[in-house]
Amino acid sequence: MSRTISRAAWYVLLAVVVALVLAPALWMLSTSIKPEREIITTQIRWIPQNFTVEHFQAIVQNYPMMQWLFNSLFTATAATLLVLVLDSMAGYAFARMEFRGRGLLFMIVLSMLFVPIQITVVPLFILFSRLGLTDTYWALILPVGANVTGVFLMRQFFLSIPGELEEAARVDGASAFRVFWSVVLPLARPALTAVAIITFLSTWNSFFWPLIVTRSDSVRTLPVGIAQFLSLRAGMVQGQMSIGQSMAGAVFAALPPIIIFVILQRYFIEGISRTGIKG
Amino acid sequence: MRILPRTAESGSYAALAGLAPKRRPSLTPYYFILPYLVFFVLFRLGPSLAGLGIAFTNWQAVGTPRFVGFANFEAMARDPRLGDAFQNTVFFVLLTVPTLIVLSLALALFLNQPRRGRAVGRVVVFMPYVIMSTVVGVLWTWILDKDFGLLNVYLNFFGIANVPWLVSESTAMYGIILTTVWWTVGYDMVLFLAGLQDIPHELYEAARIDGARAWGVFRFVTLPLLAPTTFLVLMLTIINSFQVFDQVYVMTSGGPGTATLTLVQYIYTTSFQFQKFGYGSAVALILFGILVIVAFFQIRGYRRGLKGVE
Repeated sequence: MSRTISRAAWYVLLAVVVALVLAPALWMLSTSIKPEREIITTQIRWIPQNFTVEHFQAIVQNYPMMQWLFNSLFTATAATLLVLVLDSMAGYAFARMEFRGRGLLFMIVLSMLFVPIQITVVPLFILFSRLGLTDTYWALILPVGANVTGVFLMRQFFLSIPGELEEAARVDGASAFRVFWSVVLPLARPALTAVAIITFLSTWNSFFWPLIVTRSDSVRTLPVGIAQFLSLRAGMVQGQMSIGQSMAGAVFAALPPIIIFVILQRYFIEGISRTGIKG
Repeated sequence: MRILPRTAESGSYAALAGLAPKRRPSLTPYYFILPYLVFFVLFRLGPSLAGLGIAFTNWQAVGTPRFVGFANFEAMARDPRLGDAFQNTVFFVLLTVPTLIVLSLALALFLNQPRRGRAVGRVVVFMPYVIMSTVVGVLWTWILDKDFGLLNVYLNFFGIANVPWLVSESTAMYGIILTTVWWTVGYDMVLFLAGLQDIPHELYEAARIDGARAWGVFRFVTLPLLAPTTFLVLMLTIINSFQVFDQVYVMTSGGPGTATLTLVQYIYTTSFQFQKFGYGSAVALILFGILVIVAFFQIRGYRRGLKGVE
């Protein structure tokens, strides 16, 4: 008897949690497909009486949504590939090779985890303006290559795998690069996936630096575009944008990562967990 | 057995095995590490050190920066807006961090039970985190709308009159906090779930055989063994909370008045709207100082806590 009650309680609680978390996101979706007169009302209607796509048409026509989306996808993908190459190599060296200054160097790299990006942005901005690279994809991609988390995760992973395979390959006369490329990297798939997901997500979400370094719509990423054009300020609609349109913009930007997440959720959750596990 | 390249120290391994002749220290490790180091020095270490230097200048974008010693830091003491930003940030951290930790741990414990539907629960709770911060800001500005927002309309059902949320100085920060909790609680939960899965099952059974009740198991098995995870989550959450910016920028721009002005928002306006690079960097340095102090105390407390467990 108590078993059924606790089972019922489980489902009720689960439903409450799911409903509370989903409600804001579903309300965003619901608002985006309603005509304006159904939006400005204190009557809550989750399923609109009249369905419309006018808000989506309006934002795609009036704002370079597609360009921003492309910029976001392109820079996040390029940055992720860059990080995978740099961090797997560096993490491998830190974990498996001995060289002068290894310990000190790793300490210096790790210490940067505590330096907030706000200290680096002014010099970084000046560096890129001297190079003439502000407001370019380069400015959005290159700094991601300096990330610390990826190197740390790759090092932890390489410390945890046994060395017999490398040993065998080396005995067969393979060079260090050959061993790394054909023996070590294939083993590192889980770690590489984790680093890829974390890097992609953080670059995709990145706002502070892109806000500072981009000006034109041909380079601007979605988060910056959304913030500049769709911001409702405390109930006041800014510029020409209606609430319906700003919600349509929000759905437009939220949907791709949600879809990717739902498909790849196992890897997302594993990837995030990995940052918390020692080995 | 670890495999080592043919450097001075590890050469002995190869020599012992009779596989390779003695060699000079190899450059191979540097080939592996150099590409990353170039990026690291150019875009992270260099700018950090430069930022440290700029904090002691009066640089204002144009003209040559002049060294001014601690003048920027002295000016901070007389800067009421910075005082507000500091207070608001601390208030935000003090409310957000405990809420997030307790809520995410509760959710992790709840969704760690071997029952049907828990996978769905996990996916849903984590989902907001994959939405970009500025979209979350836009969405919650609408949810928190004073007259037509979803939250107020539902609160009306319970007889609670319209809360002004983002338009009133006394409630705006709570709106930002609510938004932040919704957005990031799933991230912390996933970290806790990973920690919970590392706790050996036998320990739970042993505790139960010894007659421990649910609370006892939690208090004397789960909580102590979860300490490393709790430490990590606490650290990450505090660091991230001190740097709160995106939501504020989109939802209130620090207003009304200075009610939601945070340190990073202040650094952003000072450096990039008023072009006061020197002063902005000095404020960023203070933020860095806060993070280092927090980390120091946490690592110390953590060490002490671990000793208690062992």
